[in-house]
Amino acid sequence: MIGATVAAGTAVLLYFLPLFHVVPLDRAKQSVAGAAFDPAAFVDRFWTERLIPGAARAVDATELVAAVQEDRQSARRTHGRSVGMGRVYYYFVAGTGRVVSVEKNHVGLSLHDGQTQVQVSLETGNIFGNAVRDGTGLLNVNDFPNSQDFNALSSEINGRVEQQVLPALRKMAAVGATVRFVGCAEIMDEDTDLHPLRIVPFIVEAP
Amino acid sequence: MNRTSFRMLSPLIFLLCILLAGCGGGSPATPAGTPRIAVIISTLNNPWFVVLGDAAKQRATRLGYDVVVFDSQNDPAKEASHFENVIASGYAAVLFNPTDADGSIANVRRAKEAGIPVFCMDREINATDAAVSQILSDNYSGCVALGQYFVKQVGESGKYVELLGLVGDNNTWNRSKGFHSVVDRYPDLKMVSQQSADFDRAKALEVMEAILQANPDIDAVFCGNDAMAMGAYQALVAAGKDKQVKVFGFDGADDVVKLIAEGKIVATGMQFPKLMARTAAESADKYLKGDRDFPQKTPVAVELVHRGNAGKYGDYGRKEAE
Repeated sequence: MIGATVAAGTAVLLYFLPLFHVVPLDRAKQSVAGAAFDPAAFVDRFWTERLIPGAARAVDATELVAAVQEDRQSARRTHGRSVGMGRVYYYFVAGTGRVVSVEKNHVGLSLHDGQTQVQVSLETGNIFGNAVRDGTGLLNVNDFPNSQDFNALSSEINGRVEQQVLPALRKMAAVGATVRFVGCAEIMDEDTDLHPLRIVPFIVEAP
Repeated sequence: MNRTSFRMLSPLIFLLCILLAGCGGGSPATPAGTPRIAVIISTLNNPWFVVLGDAAKQRATRLGYDVVVFDSQNDPAKEASHFENVIASGYAAVLFNPTDADGSIANVRRAKEAGIPVFCMDREINATDAAVSQILSDNYSGCVALGQYFVKQVGESGKYVELLGLVGDNNTWNRSKGFHSVVDRYPDLKMVSQQSADFDRAKALEVMEAILQANPDIDAVFCGNDAMAMGAYQALVAAGKDKQVKVFGFDGADDVVKLIAEGKIVATGMQFPKLMARTAAESADKYLKGDRDFPQKTPVAVELVHRGNAGKYGDYGRKEAE
């Protein structure tokens, strides 16, 4: 009788004060990820494991510039990438060009021999916005329960571009030099952002 | 049945009645058979959210639902009570503008467990497994653009103030961080004060008055929403400093867009409350008709509104777009 009473009492106690909680795995993962998110560590891995290898997916700059000149909307449909709803879209682009101008915050390239017109402009000043985060299609907002984490990636990626990519670009950017680049362009206003294409590069090298 | 056995059975009968009433409450339709949608809004004390709530109500009504709008008054306890009401009353879906990115998750989960789908509008919750979808303003990117314009207008040196929104809301920090991701790169731009005014016009007026007492020589004020921008502008006018201090807002409220066109406020970020509300209502309708294919988060781009393009905006959107 006493044993049964103790067992019942224990059962009631455990009901109200359980020794453990069963939590769905996706929810558990989410709370761990939310608590532990480290944008610098994330971008470290993303940069080497996905971004640099992903460069092969970029559209050729000569092809893109020609497509934009022919028909902006068709070029956007074929090569552009949008995130969510709105007028902003991105191009993920790679190419080789000759430096035709060097300004304080950008380097102008021509993609064709003998031309002096700037067709693409590589940014060399402070980098803002989401060009690389959203332009490659390699990162998805839905993988980040808290959008502050997703936004922190933009700052981290932009900082890395400024520290690891732009110093080399500034060094090699002399008029007449040839530069190979891979990067992304954010198109917020088609009247100003397409001619020339303003690219945030994440790879620059002498070919 | 004798009197004694009736006395014994009466509590059981009473309990059965309650259970049956509870089952009736689980039906997603009113007695007339029209399914009901709840629109739960963080606060209706701000015109922007009134537009969001009204647009959600209008679209859901046009889609054939009975719609009731609930005002949480920026109070998570009131919001929780609205959800209890919605669950007990058997609504078919909730179009939801949360008060708190973390605190509101439990309410959404409770609705989900009761079989009521929830569609977040404008503000997110920090979970991707609770709501069916979240249509969210891309506050961070909008404020990156606003920050760049701020530097262009104010210059690379000067003193400024920031008025923050509700500190528990992700939008507050997405806006602030987007802005600072730009402005903090200019070390001679000094933030002399950063205070919360809870997205509220009257509070912003009060806070700005106090800030101006201690900092009469500021060059600019960045406000996390347009209601606060209006409050700050009002304080500046009263202090005779409206020509000296540049005001920046965020939201795209009609009164602010008008003041931008007149050159009195410098810029704002246009969000699209009507677009977000309509999309949420249409998603709820599709869901209730069997569709289950929804992206969890859909960011909606924010557009910079300044004196040069203010004429293209109005009525809480872009004139030709909405």
